[in-house]
Amino acid sequence: MTRYRAAPVATLRVVPLDVLTLIFHRASGITHVVDSPVPEILEALGDEALGLDALLARLGERFDLADADPAALASRLDELAAAGLVERL
Amino acid sequence: MGDENIGGPNATRRRALMLGAAGATAIVSIRPALAQTNASVLACEIPVPDAGRAGSYIAADGTLVPAGTPGAFAPAGVPFKGEDVKRALANGGTLPGASYEQSRAYTNYIRRLQSGTSGFTCFASLQMPRG
Repeated sequence: MTRYRAAPVATLRVVPLDVLTLIFHRASGITHVVDSPVPEILEALGDEALGLDALLARLGERFDLADADPAALASRLDELAAAGLVERL
Repeated sequence: MGDENIGGPNATRRRALMLGAAGATAIVSIRPALAQTNASVLACEIPVPDAGRAGSYIAADGTLVPAGTPGAFAPAGVPFKGEDVKRALANGGTLPGASYEQSRAYTNYIRRLQSGTSGFTCFASLQMPRG
């Protein structure tokens, strides 16, 4: 099963800006403008490698999920992987 | 109200979160190479209106109104590209496939986009100065 790991916290500069969040990825020099639930997903991953179900469960513990939908979470993770902020293991 | 902070892992009142709220674009990347700065931004898309309110018409001022409202416009068939939206916002040009009035209504809708609505991240990124 695919597991996901976020870029190490030390490589990220995360700046909440009103309703959006800027994430500067030091490793790539790219700034990402992200909307919820992206910062929450990165925080939930922390420095662990988690599978989709484990990550969904963790988000469910921390947040009141309006749509606990694995497919939606998988889409977000695909975007994060494409942006280089999450690694697939 | 306006009391304690919210959203911590141990907060007693848990913050609501929608995994699918941002629609197709939850991340827009701004690359450092100046010539490429807008590549990701310009490729992002803004549906008018967003999928959650797909049946609504768009009034001239950009608000969403019931389908068939006189003077309002039917939804755009396909999402607009960031590049086209940027051009329309900057120069007052028309969006692809839209008449002048229709395009005005659509761009007014886009200006009113809120966080959590499909296309908002894309729209917010269009506001950034060119690198």
